[in-house]
Amino acid sequence: MGSKHEPKWITFARHAALLAFVAIAVYPALNVFSISLRPGNRLRSTDLAIIPENWTFESYVQLFTEQPFLRWLVNSLIVATLVTLTGVTLASIGGYAFSRFRFIGRKATMLAILTTQMFPATMLLLPIYILIAKLGLVNTYLGLMVFYISTALPFCIWQMKGFYDTIPASLEEAARIDGCSRSRAFWSVILPLATPGLVITALFSFMAAWSEYIVAAQVMQDEDMFTLPLGIKSFQASLSSQWGLYAAASILVSIPVICLFLLLSKYLVSGLTLGSVKE
Amino acid sequence: MITIWHQVRPAERAVLRDEIARYEAAHPDVRVRPLYKETEELRSGFQAAAFAGGGPELVYGPSDVLDTFQTMGLIQDLSPWFSPETAEEFVEGALTYLPSPRDPNRRELVQVGDRFGNHLALVYNRRFIPEPPKTTDDLVRLAIENTIDEDGDGRRDRYGLVWNFTEPYFVIPFLTGYGAWVFAEPESDPPVPALDTPASVAAYRFVKQLRDEHRVAPANCDYELADSLFKSGRAAMIINGDWSWGDYLESPAIDAAIAVLPMVSETGLPMRSMVSPKGYSLNVNAQGEAAEAAMAFVRHMTSEEVQRRLVERLRMLPGRRSVWDDPLFESDPTLAASRAQLESGRMMPVATELRAVWDGMRPSYQALLGGAMTPEAAAAQMQHDALAKIDLMHRRIEPGRSVAVVKLVVGLLLAVALVWQWPNFLAFVRDWRQNRIAYLFAMPAVVVIFAVIVFPFFYNLVLSLSDMSLVRFRDWRVVGLQNYAEVLTDPMLWGPWGVLMKTLVWTVVNVAFHVGLGVMLAVALHGVVRGKSIYRLLLIIPWAVPAYITALTWRGMFDYEYGAVNLLLTTIAGVPPINWLGEPLRAFQACVITNVWLGFPFMMVIALGGMQGIPAELYEAARIDRASRWQQFWHITLPLLKPVLLPAITLGAIWTFNNLNVIWLVSNGGEPQDSTHILVSYVYKAVFNLYRYGYGAALSMVMFLILLTFSILFLHRTKATESVYG
Repeated sequence: MGSKHEPKWITFARHAALLAFVAIAVYPALNVFSISLRPGNRLRSTDLAIIPENWTFESYVQLFTEQPFLRWLVNSLIVATLVTLTGVTLASIGGYAFSRFRFIGRKATMLAILTTQMFPATMLLLPIYILIAKLGLVNTYLGLMVFYISTALPFCIWQMKGFYDTIPASLEEAARIDGCSRSRAFWSVILPLATPGLVITALFSFMAAWSEYIVAAQVMQDEDMFTLPLGIKSFQASLSSQWGLYAAASILVSIPVICLFLLLSKYLVSGLTLGSVKE
Repeated sequence: MITIWHQVRPAERAVLRDEIARYEAAHPDVRVRPLYKETEELRSGFQAAAFAGGGPELVYGPSDVLDTFQTMGLIQDLSPWFSPETAEEFVEGALTYLPSPRDPNRRELVQVGDRFGNHLALVYNRRFIPEPPKTTDDLVRLAIENTIDEDGDGRRDRYGLVWNFTEPYFVIPFLTGYGAWVFAEPESDPPVPALDTPASVAAYRFVKQLRDEHRVAPANCDYELADSLFKSGRAAMIINGDWSWGDYLESPAIDAAIAVLPMVSETGLPMRSMVSPKGYSLNVNAQGEAAEAAMAFVRHMTSEEVQRRLVERLRMLPGRRSVWDDPLFESDPTLAASRAQLESGRMMPVATELRAVWDGMRPSYQALLGGAMTPEAAAAQMQHDALAKIDLMHRRIEPGRSVAVVKLVVGLLLAVALVWQWPNFLAFVRDWRQNRIAYLFAMPAVVVIFAVIVFPFFYNLVLSLSDMSLVRFRDWRVVGLQNYAEVLTDPMLWGPWGVLMKTLVWTVVNVAFHVGLGVMLAVALHGVVRGKSIYRLLLIIPWAVPAYITALTWRGMFDYEYGAVNLLLTTIAGVPPINWLGEPLRAFQACVITNVWLGFPFMMVIALGGMQGIPAELYEAARIDRASRWQQFWHITLPLLKPVLLPAITLGAIWTFNNLNVIWLVSNGGEPQDSTHILVSYVYKAVFNLYRYGYGAALSMVMFLILLTFSILFLHRTKATESVYG
């Protein structure tokens, strides 16, 4: 609720709080960066220096020259993009149905889709593998993507429903009185107003596919088909991990996420508010 | 195509790739696909894959999992491919035989080893220690001399001797040096743990002395800290295994050399470490030609020619007898020391019981080093826990009468549900015609979700009624409600400060902080704020960087001596350092702090998005009415954020409840003393350490019911399915 007329002390408190949290948010990540620069494969350090002694970009160079990092990156981008597109599409229409229509089984279904999140993922590993094996989806991206979409969707649907709920029904009715069809009203009136929801849904679906590795480790059998988290995990071995590569890859993995956020955050806070709506 | 899951360490993978390329060149019709799997992942992954009738043809790794795989019926006898004459060409211990589960008089060849490894030895820095110690008296003297505080600030700049305190594997050389062993000798079948002996108590006393009286080791030391200390020249000696030596020899900051572990002065016995062969095993699902092709590859990889190349490139200890005459064993000091340590070593027992022994030792060993237990009490507790775990692991459950009852109840429930829901179904059919568009909109998403979850759900339900475990893995049966009875009567779970209580505290505290901080930051960012987009970007970093590495850096930040958190507390706040990872409650708090850090950006983004939907006039009107900022927040912002925040809170609570990662990584699997477990990590441990699939499934059904009840109540109270404008 910042505005140009707020008292000085509030502006000050605002910035003080933000700066403090920025420091807390960034410091551990800087530590990861520090590990990636450290020579000699050390996870821990005995001092607090962020730029270590004898720092080197060796790990980054190795990722691109000796490891199939680019390949993993491309694989991951394809999987995550497809999951995001499908997830956003299904969630935006599904959420609309749950928000605007009163149909039999609506509440039960909304609850039921939540239940899919209530199982510890590790317990589902065995049956999911059996399912994927029986359907012949081992070592295919399809198996992976269907799983990711279905894990991301419950949140996305609920989130979209929440956003649609904040949009007054009167808007839509006005559009329909003006002669719009239901789907037309949805497309050109409701959806633009729910943009922040779409952004969150997109970010969430992207992250669901971008960072998952437990199921991916079961499904993917070919190093060339690895997604990034799998590739990164392969630098980890019990008691003999390659921490430099592990950290460098983790830093690089975060960059597309940050870019996506930059790209989308314009819409997250776009001018498409309900400012002009009169109840 | 031969697929092989291996545990070859990153530094050695290039050699494996070269050998495969050579083999493929010689056999153009064969393709070999290597796939690295981390120890635990290989074990659980192979169990699942082989169980489902698939999996790689070959697995390559240390011998310790073989008994498990064989008991579960996942690997086959290799004797047809390795005749007694061929077997003679291998060093004793390189080929692992186990009694056949079907015929106890027959022995099956379960692994062909190409090398030995995993043995611990003493690594010392020649800059500080010219000659390695021959006895433990020497060791103590050298360690004391090298534990120094150079600048006199009260913090030690160098330690004499470091090793990994958290894993009992690293205490084995001390035990053997005092004449103790993990199993009673002569070893029986099945082996019986012998952890509570005068010899082992003496060994623990010596270990404790090293740290508490001589103070040559840090107060708290896990693997990574020990490793970093030694690599940066802040430790004169380290006890570590063959996997680590290459790194040390290459580190420019130190001048490392490998030596045999010393003799214990009190007993005159050498400190012997555990050794295990590493080799190839054949999946039970590989039959016919696939098996032949896979075994031809194994024969090649264990041939003399390849073994010589591997010795030359990797300096490894080969499985084949004839390779041991290689001149490198004389000329290379590291290989010579490695060989000497191997020759004095003891073969790691290949028994499922060993896993229970490690699990039984770990908590008490950590408590011993944490100062919470005496050597006597720790040894007694270890023995007790190991026996209890073996009992759990090998427990056979007989089908009970409840099978019939369960079937009846399930049948009845189905019938009742059908009768009860019939009117609803009819209404649904009518509704379908009127509301077709609603169903069409909702259907695709719902179908995708349920396609993935329905089978696992029912599978899990059936497993929870079964005796699936180590001893009945592929031939599990439905046995009734015994697993539930066990879950519901487990005092560890339901006690006043039990795992459930901890899980609830964990969930509530985490979600409260996530939402509180998230909304606070969103409010701070709302409106006209200078530098807004930069703030926003930096604040989502905890979400963007993968949690599997940031959780580890948080673990480093909580280190007692070198961690940022303690350094900050002592220098800025003047508080004495806190033993975050060594004390149960502190370790739990450390996990919570880490998870709060990981989770707040997500809630912030959601709150930011939600606030865009709040009409600006509402605030203007409030200002005209002279409402305070707090009133505006409370009466406008929060109510209008509700529909957007509620799903995030509900799901946030569910995810936090089921969050395995943070607990696992920050407290290293529940340390200290299995005290930081929440339900999900408890299940994980039961299933993956003790193979109790049935029990784990029952516990996860109970967790499911807890979450379901919570969600129904929460959604009902908050009316989340209704819309704000109603």
